[in-house]
Amino acid sequence: MSEHSLQSPQTIGIPLTNVVPSAIEQDDLLLVAASKNGDQEAFAQLVQRYQRLVFNLVYRMLQQYEEATEITQETFLAAWQGLPAFRGDARFPTWLYRIAYNCSLKQLELRKRDRALQVALEAERTLVNANDEQRENAELDARDRQLLVQEHLSHLPTKYRIVLILRHLQDMTYEEMAEILTMPIGTIKTHLFRARNLLKERLQSLNRESDMG
Amino acid sequence: MRCKEASQQMQLYFDNRLTIQQIRTLEAHLASCDACLEELTIFETVVKDLETFKVVAEPDDLNAKIMRRVALAASQRKTSPSRFSLWHPSLLEILVAATLATIATIGTILQQPSIRSMLPFAKGHDGLSLAYFNMLHALMNVDGTTLILALWIAGTLLGVCITLIVAGSEMRTQWFRAMLERLPVR
Repeated sequence: MSEHSLQSPQTIGIPLTNVVPSAIEQDDLLLVAASKNGDQEAFAQLVQRYQRLVFNLVYRMLQQYEEATEITQETFLAAWQGLPAFRGDARFPTWLYRIAYNCSLKQLELRKRDRALQVALEAERTLVNANDEQRENAELDARDRQLLVQEHLSHLPTKYRIVLILRHLQDMTYEEMAEILTMPIGTIKTHLFRARNLLKERLQSLNRESDMG
Repeated sequence: MRCKEASQQMQLYFDNRLTIQQIRTLEAHLASCDACLEELTIFETVVKDLETFKVVAEPDDLNAKIMRRVALAASQRKTSPSRFSLWHPSLLEILVAATLATIATIGTILQQPSIRSMLPFAKGHDGLSLAYFNMLHALMNVDGTTLILALWIAGTLLGVCITLIVAGSEMRTQWFRAMLERLPVR
Protein backbone atom coordinates (compact mmCIF):
# COMPACT_ATOMS: atom_id res chain seq x y z
CA MET A 1 0.00 0.00 0.00
CA SER A 2 1.46 3.35 -0.92
CA GLU A 3 1.74 6.43 1.29
CA HIS A 4 -0.51 8.28 -1.13
CA SER A 5 -3.39 5.89 -0.68
CA LEU A 6 -2.84 5.82 3.08
CA GLN A 7 -2.61 9.49 3.81
CA SER A 8 -4.41 11.56 1.26
CA PRO A 9 -6.62 13.45 1.61
CA GLN A 10 -6.80 13.20 5.40
CA THR A 11 -3.13 13.86 6.11
CA ILE A 12 -2.23 16.75 8.33
CA GLY A 13 1.13 17.77 9.65
CA ILE A 14 0.79 18.78 13.28
CA PRO A 15 2.59 17.21 16.25
CA LEU A 16 0.61 14.54 18.09
CA THR A 17 0.81 16.13 21.52
CA ASN A 18 1.33 19.76 22.21
CA VAL A 19 -0.17 20.34 25.63
CA VAL A 20 0.82 20.58 29.30
CA PRO A 21 0.65 16.95 30.51
CA SER A 22 -0.20 17.51 34.18
CA ALA A 23 -3.16 19.79 33.42
CA ILE A 24 -4.46 17.29 30.89
CA GLU A 25 -4.07 14.45 33.39
CA GLN A 26 -6.03 16.36 36.02
CA ASP A 27 -8.77 17.08 33.54
CA ASP A 28 -8.75 13.45 32.42
CA LEU A 29 -9.37 12.35 36.00
CA LEU A 30 -12.42 14.60 36.27
CA LEU A 31 -13.80 13.47 32.92
CA VAL A 32 -13.18 9.81 33.75
CA ALA A 33 -14.98 10.20 37.09
CA ALA A 34 -17.95 11.84 35.35
CA SER A 35 -17.96 9.18 32.61
CA LYS A 36 -18.00 6.45 35.25
CA ASN A 37 -21.22 7.98 36.52
CA GLY A 38 -22.72 7.66 33.04
CA ASP A 39 -21.99 11.19 31.79
CA GLN A 40 -21.75 10.70 28.03
CA GLU A 41 -20.83 14.35 27.43
CA ALA A 42 -17.72 13.89 29.56
CA PHE A 43 -16.81 10.73 27.70
CA ALA A 44 -17.31 12.53 24.38
CA GLN A 45 -14.65 15.01 25.51
CA LEU A 46 -12.26 12.17 26.26
CA VAL A 47 -13.00 10.70 22.83
CA GLN A 48 -12.33 14.06 21.21
CA ARG A 49 -9.05 14.36 23.07
CA TYR A 50 -7.66 10.92 22.30
CA GLN A 51 -9.33 9.74 19.10
CA ARG A 52 -6.51 10.93 16.86
CA LEU A 53 -3.81 9.26 18.95
CA VAL A 54 -5.75 6.03 19.16
CA PHE A 55 -6.70 6.14 15.50
CA ASN A 56 -3.08 6.63 14.42
CA LEU A 57 -1.87 3.79 16.61
CA VAL A 58 -4.54 1.45 15.26
CA TYR A 59 -4.02 2.66 11.71
CA ARG A 60 -0.26 2.04 11.82
CA MET A 61 -0.91 -1.41 13.25
CA LEU A 62 -3.56 -2.41 10.71
CA GLN A 63 -2.47 -0.32 7.71
CA GLN A 64 -6.07 -0.01 6.50
CA TYR A 65 -8.01 3.20 6.93
CA GLU A 66 -11.54 1.75 7.09
CA GLU A 67 -10.52 -1.04 9.39
CA ALA A 68 -8.71 1.41 11.64
CA THR A 69 -11.88 3.52 11.83
CA GLU A 70 -13.90 0.50 12.93
CA ILE A 71 -11.34 -0.69 15.47
CA THR A 72 -11.00 2.82 16.92
CA GLN A 73 -14.74 2.81 17.52
CA GLU A 74 -14.49 -0.59 19.17
CA THR A 75 -11.63 0.63 21.33
CA PHE A 76 -13.64 3.53 22.72
CA LEU A 77 -16.72 1.38 23.16
CA ALA A 78 -14.64 -1.16 25.11
CA ALA A 79 -13.23 1.72 27.16
CA TRP A 80 -16.74 3.00 27.95
CA GLN A 81 -17.87 -0.47 28.98
CA GLY A 82 -14.70 -1.07 30.96
CA LEU A 83 -14.70 2.27 32.79
CA PRO A 84 -16.19 0.82 36.00
CA ALA A 85 -13.12 -1.45 36.20
CA PHE A 86 -10.66 1.41 35.57
CA ARG A 87 -9.14 2.15 38.98
CA GLY A 88 -6.72 4.82 37.84
CA ASP A 89 -3.57 2.78 38.53
CA ALA A 90 -2.35 3.79 35.07
CA ARG A 91 -2.95 7.08 33.27
CA PHE A 92 -6.14 7.13 31.22
CA PRO A 93 -4.34 7.32 27.81
CA THR A 94 -2.06 4.45 28.82
CA TRP A 95 -5.09 2.34 29.67
CA LEU A 96 -6.76 3.41 26.43
CA TYR A 97 -3.67 2.54 24.38
CA ARG A 98 -3.62 -0.90 25.96
CA ILE A 99 -7.22 -1.44 24.85
CA ALA A 100 -6.42 -0.14 21.36
CA TYR A 101 -3.42 -2.44 21.11
CA ASN A 102 -5.45 -5.45 22.22
CA CYS A 103 -8.27 -4.60 19.81
CA SER A 104 -5.75 -4.28 16.98
CA LEU A 105 -4.17 -7.61 17.86
CA LYS A 106 -7.60 -9.23 17.87
CA GLN A 107 -8.34 -7.75 14.47
CA LEU A 108 -5.01 -9.00 13.10
CA GLU A 109 -5.88 -12.46 14.39
CA LEU A 110 -9.29 -12.28 12.70
CA ARG A 111 -7.62 -11.14 9.52
CA LYS A 112 -5.28 -14.11 9.63
CA ARG A 113 -8.23 -16.45 9.85
CA ASP A 114 -10.01 -14.82 6.98
CA ARG A 115 -8.79 -16.89 4.08
CA ALA A 116 -10.22 -14.64 1.39
CA LEU A 117 -8.42 -11.65 2.79
CA GLN A 118 -5.20 -13.63 2.96
CA VAL A 119 -5.48 -14.37 -0.74
CA ALA A 120 -6.01 -10.68 -1.42
CA LEU A 121 -2.99 -9.80 0.72
CA GLU A 122 -0.91 -12.34 -1.15
CA ALA A 123 -1.91 -10.73 -4.43
CA GLU A 124 -1.01 -7.33 -2.99
CA ARG A 125 2.36 -8.69 -1.85
CA THR A 126 3.08 -9.99 -5.35
CA LEU A 127 2.30 -6.54 -6.68
CA VAL A 128 4.61 -4.97 -4.12
CA ASN A 129 7.42 -7.34 -5.11
CA ALA A 130 6.94 -6.41 -8.76
CA ASN A 131 7.15 -2.77 -7.77
CA ASP A 132 10.33 -3.53 -5.83
CA GLU A 133 11.97 -4.96 -8.93
CA GLN A 134 11.10 -1.87 -10.91
CA ARG A 135 12.32 0.32 -8.07
CA GLU A 136 15.69 -1.43 -7.97
CA ASN A 137 16.64 0.37 -11.14
CA ALA A 138 15.49 3.75 -9.94
CA GLU A 139 17.38 6.13 -7.71
CA LEU A 140 16.19 6.21 -4.13
CA ASP A 141 15.22 9.70 -3.14
CA ALA A 142 13.97 10.62 0.32
CA ARG A 143 10.33 10.15 -0.60
CA ASP A 144 10.87 6.65 -1.98
CA ARG A 145 12.89 5.69 1.05
CA GLN A 146 10.13 6.83 3.40
CA LEU A 147 7.66 4.73 1.47
CA LEU A 148 9.97 1.77 1.74
CA VAL A 149 10.44 2.25 5.47
CA GLN A 150 6.70 2.38 5.84
CA GLU A 151 6.31 -0.70 3.69
CA HIS A 152 8.95 -2.56 5.68
CA LEU A 153 7.28 -1.43 8.88
CA SER A 154 4.03 -2.99 7.76
CA HIS A 155 5.80 -6.29 7.09
CA LEU A 156 7.55 -6.45 10.44
CA PRO A 157 6.19 -8.88 13.06
CA THR A 158 3.52 -7.23 15.22
CA LYS A 159 5.66 -7.21 18.36
CA TYR A 160 8.35 -5.20 16.56
CA ARG A 161 5.93 -2.93 14.72
CA ILE A 162 4.11 -1.83 17.86
CA VAL A 163 7.30 -0.73 19.69
CA LEU A 164 8.45 1.29 16.67
CA ILE A 165 5.05 2.95 16.42
CA LEU A 166 4.93 3.81 20.11
CA ARG A 167 8.53 5.01 20.25
CA HIS A 168 8.87 6.97 17.04
CA LEU A 169 5.34 7.93 16.08
CA GLN A 170 3.90 8.46 19.54
CA ASP A 171 7.20 9.48 21.17
CA MET A 172 6.84 7.22 24.20
CA THR A 173 9.47 6.20 26.74
CA TYR A 174 10.44 2.62 27.57
CA GLU A 175 8.44 2.90 30.79
CA GLU A 176 5.26 4.02 29.04
CA MET A 177 5.59 1.28 26.43
CA ALA A 178 6.19 -1.33 29.12
CA GLU A 179 3.02 -0.23 30.88
CA ILE A 180 0.91 -0.31 27.73
CA LEU A 181 2.23 -3.60 26.41
CA THR A 182 2.54 -5.15 29.89
CA MET A 183 6.07 -6.27 29.17
CA PRO A 184 9.33 -5.80 31.10
CA ILE A 185 11.46 -2.85 29.99
CA GLY A 186 14.21 -5.29 28.97
CA THR A 187 11.85 -6.97 26.50
CA ILE A 188 10.75 -3.60 25.14
CA LYS A 189 14.38 -2.68 24.52
CA THR A 190 15.11 -6.01 22.87
CA HIS A 191 12.13 -5.69 20.54
CA LEU A 192 12.90 -2.06 19.72
CA PHE A 193 16.58 -2.70 18.97
CA ARG A 194 15.74 -5.76 16.88
CA ALA A 195 13.05 -3.86 14.96
CA ARG A 196 15.40 -0.96 14.13
CA ASN A 197 18.12 -3.41 13.17
CA LEU A 198 15.74 -5.17 10.78
CA LEU A 199 14.81 -1.87 9.13
CA LYS A 200 18.46 -0.90 8.97
CA GLU A 201 19.43 -4.21 7.35
CA ARG A 202 16.68 -3.87 4.75
CA LEU A 203 17.74 -0.32 3.95
CA GLN A 204 21.38 -1.42 3.69
CA SER A 205 20.49 -4.22 1.30
CA LEU A 206 18.44 -1.81 -0.83
CA ASN A 207 21.33 0.64 -0.89
CA ARG A 208 23.67 -2.13 -2.01
CA GLU A 209 21.28 -3.23 -4.77
CA SER A 210 20.91 0.39 -5.84
CA ASP A 211 24.71 0.82 -5.97
CA MET A 212 25.09 -2.38 -8.02
CA GLY A 213 22.38 -1.27 -10.43
CA MET B 1 34.64 0.46 23.05
CA ARG B 2 33.88 -2.48 20.75
CA CYS B 3 31.71 -2.10 17.64
CA LYS B 4 28.97 -4.35 19.07
CA GLU B 5 28.76 -2.19 22.18
CA ALA B 6 28.77 0.94 20.03
CA SER B 7 25.80 -0.40 18.09
CA GLN B 8 23.86 -0.88 21.35
CA GLN B 9 24.83 2.60 22.51
CA MET B 10 23.58 4.08 19.21
CA GLN B 11 20.18 2.53 19.82
CA LEU B 12 20.09 3.95 23.34
CA TYR B 13 21.16 7.31 21.95
CA PHE B 14 18.08 7.41 19.71
CA ASP B 15 15.94 6.67 22.74
CA ASN B 16 17.54 9.52 24.76
CA ARG B 17 18.98 7.04 27.22
CA LEU B 18 22.65 8.05 27.17
CA THR B 19 24.41 10.34 29.61
CA ILE B 20 26.71 13.09 28.30
CA GLN B 21 29.70 10.96 29.26
CA GLN B 22 28.36 7.96 27.32
CA ILE B 23 27.72 10.13 24.28
CA ARG B 24 31.30 11.42 24.43
CA THR B 25 32.63 7.84 24.58
CA LEU B 26 30.47 6.85 21.62
CA GLU B 27 31.64 9.89 19.66
CA ALA B 28 35.25 8.93 20.33
CA HIS B 29 34.62 5.46 18.93
CA LEU B 30 32.79 6.81 15.88
CA ALA B 31 35.68 9.13 15.14
CA SER B 32 37.95 6.13 14.70
CA CYS B 33 35.56 3.56 13.18
CA ASP B 34 34.14 4.11 9.70
CA ALA B 35 31.92 1.02 9.85
CA CYS B 36 30.13 2.26 12.98
CA LEU B 37 29.87 5.76 11.56
CA GLU B 38 28.15 4.32 8.50
CA GLU B 39 25.87 2.28 10.75
CA LEU B 40 24.95 5.43 12.66
CA THR B 41 24.12 7.21 9.39
CA ILE B 42 21.77 4.39 8.38
CA PHE B 43 20.17 4.30 11.81
CA GLU B 44 19.65 8.07 11.60
CA THR B 45 17.98 7.64 8.22
CA VAL B 46 15.66 4.94 9.55
CA VAL B 47 14.71 6.92 12.65
CA LYS B 48 14.25 10.13 10.66
CA ASP B 49 12.02 8.35 8.16
CA LEU B 50 9.98 6.81 10.95
CA GLU B 51 9.56 10.12 12.70
CA THR B 52 8.50 11.93 9.57
CA PHE B 53 5.50 9.68 9.15
CA LYS B 54 2.66 12.11 9.02
CA VAL B 55 -0.23 12.08 11.41
CA VAL B 56 -3.25 10.69 9.65
CA ALA B 57 -6.48 12.50 10.42
CA GLU B 58 -9.36 10.36 11.55
CA PRO B 59 -12.69 10.59 9.69
CA ASP B 60 -14.67 13.72 10.55
CA ASP B 61 -17.59 11.75 11.90
CA LEU B 62 -15.54 9.38 14.06
CA ASN B 63 -16.51 11.07 17.33
CA ALA B 64 -20.19 11.01 16.38
CA LYS B 65 -19.99 7.34 15.39
CA ILE B 66 -18.30 6.42 18.66
CA MET B 67 -20.81 8.34 20.74
CA ARG B 68 -23.73 6.74 18.88
CA ARG B 69 -22.39 3.32 19.81
CA VAL B 70 -21.75 4.45 23.38
CA ALA B 71 -25.31 5.78 23.66
CA LEU B 72 -26.67 2.52 22.28
CA ALA B 73 -24.58 0.48 24.72
CA ALA B 74 -25.73 2.71 27.59
CA SER B 75 -29.41 2.34 26.68
CA GLN B 76 -29.02 -1.43 26.30
CA ARG B 77 -27.43 -1.57 29.72
CA LYS B 78 -30.43 0.27 31.16
CA THR B 79 -32.98 -2.00 29.49
CA SER B 80 -31.03 -5.23 29.85
CA PRO B 81 -32.84 -7.87 31.92
CA SER B 82 -32.07 -7.88 35.61
CA ARG B 83 -31.09 -11.04 37.43
CA PHE B 84 -34.69 -11.88 38.36
CA SER B 85 -36.45 -10.57 35.27
CA LEU B 86 -37.11 -14.07 33.92
CA TRP B 87 -38.54 -15.18 37.24
CA HIS B 88 -42.29 -14.85 37.07
CA PRO B 89 -43.92 -18.18 37.93
CA SER B 90 -47.66 -18.65 37.38
CA LEU B 91 -50.11 -19.24 40.25
CA LEU B 92 -50.47 -22.91 39.32
CA GLU B 93 -46.70 -23.36 39.38
CA ILE B 94 -46.48 -21.75 42.80
CA LEU B 95 -49.25 -24.02 44.14
CA VAL B 96 -47.62 -27.19 42.75
CA ALA B 97 -44.24 -26.16 44.14
CA ALA B 98 -45.80 -25.37 47.53
CA THR B 99 -47.54 -28.77 47.62
CA LEU B 100 -44.31 -30.63 46.78
CA ALA B 101 -42.40 -28.60 49.34
CA THR B 102 -45.04 -29.42 51.97
CA ILE B 103 -44.76 -33.13 51.20
CA ALA B 104 -40.98 -32.94 51.50
CA THR B 105 -41.25 -31.05 54.81
CA ILE B 106 -43.75 -33.49 56.28
CA GLY B 107 -41.51 -36.38 55.24
CA THR B 108 -38.59 -34.78 57.06
CA ILE B 109 -40.68 -34.07 60.16
CA LEU B 110 -41.98 -37.62 60.36
CA GLN B 111 -38.44 -38.95 60.29
CA GLN B 112 -37.38 -36.86 63.31
CA PRO B 113 -38.92 -38.17 66.58
CA SER B 114 -37.98 -35.02 68.53
CA ILE B 115 -39.81 -32.73 66.10
CA ARG B 116 -42.65 -35.21 65.72
CA SER B 117 -43.32 -35.21 69.46
CA MET B 118 -43.85 -31.43 69.41
CA LEU B 119 -46.70 -31.72 66.94
CA PRO B 120 -50.33 -32.27 67.94
CA PHE B 121 -50.52 -35.03 65.32
CA ALA B 122 -48.24 -37.73 63.89
CA LYS B 123 -47.37 -39.10 67.34
CA GLY B 124 -47.69 -42.69 66.26
CA HIS B 125 -51.40 -43.33 67.00
CA ASP B 126 -53.20 -41.33 64.32
CA GLY B 127 -53.95 -42.50 60.80
CA LEU B 128 -51.22 -40.48 59.11
CA SER B 129 -48.50 -41.84 61.38
CA LEU B 130 -49.71 -45.39 61.10
CA ALA B 131 -49.83 -45.23 57.32
CA TYR B 132 -46.34 -43.70 57.20
CA PHE B 133 -44.80 -46.27 59.56
CA ASN B 134 -46.48 -49.17 57.83
CA MET B 135 -45.05 -48.01 54.53
CA LEU B 136 -41.59 -47.44 56.09
CA HIS B 137 -41.55 -50.93 57.70
CA ALA B 138 -42.63 -52.52 54.43
CA LEU B 139 -39.80 -50.77 52.63
CA MET B 140 -37.22 -51.53 55.35
CA ASN B 141 -37.97 -55.21 54.96
CA VAL B 142 -36.75 -55.00 51.40
CA ASP B 143 -33.25 -53.63 51.96
CA GLY B 144 -32.03 -50.77 54.19
CA THR B 145 -29.25 -49.50 51.90
CA THR B 146 -31.45 -49.58 48.81
CA LEU B 147 -34.16 -47.74 50.68
CA ILE B 148 -31.80 -44.93 51.77
CA LEU B 149 -30.51 -44.63 48.21
CA ALA B 150 -34.03 -44.53 46.83
CA LEU B 151 -35.09 -41.89 49.36
CA TRP B 152 -32.01 -39.82 48.58
CA ILE B 153 -32.75 -39.94 44.84
CA ALA B 154 -36.43 -39.18 45.42
CA GLY B 155 -35.52 -36.23 47.64
CA THR B 156 -33.08 -34.86 45.08
CA LEU B 157 -35.60 -35.21 42.26
CA LEU B 158 -38.24 -33.55 44.40
CA GLY B 159 -35.85 -30.66 45.05
CA VAL B 160 -35.04 -30.29 41.34
CA CYS B 161 -38.76 -30.39 40.47
CA ILE B 162 -39.59 -27.71 43.04
CA THR B 163 -36.76 -25.50 41.80
CA LEU B 164 -37.80 -25.86 38.17
CA ILE B 165 -41.44 -25.19 38.90
CA VAL B 166 -40.66 -22.10 40.96
CA ALA B 167 -38.19 -20.88 38.32
CA GLY B 168 -40.98 -20.27 35.79
CA SER B 169 -41.42 -21.33 32.20
CA GLU B 170 -38.73 -19.11 30.59
CA MET B 171 -36.01 -20.18 32.98
CA ARG B 172 -37.18 -23.77 32.61
CA THR B 173 -36.91 -23.56 28.81
CA GLN B 174 -33.43 -22.14 29.07
CA TRP B 175 -32.43 -24.87 31.51
CA PHE B 176 -33.76 -27.63 29.26
CA ARG B 177 -32.01 -26.09 26.26
CA ALA B 178 -28.74 -25.87 28.16
CA MET B 179 -29.11 -29.50 29.27
CA LEU B 180 -29.81 -30.64 25.71
CA GLU B 181 -26.75 -28.80 24.44
CA ARG B 182 -24.62 -30.71 26.91
CA LEU B 183 -25.86 -34.08 25.74
CA PRO B 184 -23.20 -35.91 23.71
CA VAL B 185 -25.73 -37.08 21.08
CA ARG B 186 -28.74 -35.07 20.00
